Amino acid sequence: VIHPLAVAVLLLTAALAVFGIVTTVLGRPAERPHVLAVGLTEAVLVVQALIGAARVLGGHRPPETSTFMIYLAVSVCVLPLGLQFARAEPTRWGGTVIAVAAVAIGVAELRLLSLWGAPVG
Amino acid sequence: LAEQPARDARATATGPGRVLVAVYAVFALSATARAGVQLATKFHEAPVAYLLSAFAGVVYILATVGLVRTGPAARRLAWTAVSIELAGVLVIGTFSVLDRGEFPDSTVWSDYGSGYGWVPLVLPVLGLLWLRHTGRRSG
Repeated sequence: VIHPLAVAVLLLTAALAVFGIVTTVLGRPAERPHVLAVGLTEAVLVVQALIGAARVLGGHRPPETSTFMIYLAVSVCVLPLGLQFARAEPTRWGGTVIAVAAVAIGVAELRLLSLWGAPVG
Repeated sequence: LAEQPARDARATATGPGRVLVAVYAVFALSATARAGVQLATKFHEAPVAYLLSAFAGVVYILATVGLVRTGPAARRLAWTAVSIELAGVLVIGTFSVLDRGEFPDSTVWSDYGSGYGWVPLVLPVLGLLWLRHTGRRSG
């Protein structure tokens, strides 16, 4: 895990969560802006997962390697699933569903950081 | 309301219920995955805690399934799973506070779920309220 990238993930997921909740408050369903915002965050997550997996394969072994790899896999899977689930909801609540997924990824990112052994923050 | 299903009870996975299902799905995934890793790698360190984690994971999965699906059977499943979940977090939470020795490693429900932002305590209450709310017959 590269530290600046992890910080980017944390900021993006926080922004995504706020954005989702704001659109719920405004009464707007999950639409194109949500897709773009999730897409951007997901792109960073995929880059991070590829780099993380490459570094593990390249010899860097965090203390709990298997747990780390599971978190890495989960980090790229949750947002697409959450987006699909949110888009199937025609009401304002789609945004909050995306916010839930974003918070989950933020928490997973903190776990990834501590598993990797880097100081958080 | 624009959408009024042609059945007695309303679907549980629409509107705010969809958010509830999303949170349940996250907990089903994280509790099950965590318990799986713990059971596979260090079962002997704290078997009670890890088996409880696994049990909690299964309860979250059943609650998620019950809430996602529609119909009386799914509703019964959701009621049962969410009730067990509430009982679980209250009982395990109390035991973990009273007797540290029995819980050397934490579970989702330890200290009433404080390690998970109290969500494990709030979630079943919201779940039961939502099931009651959607279960009212809409004329």
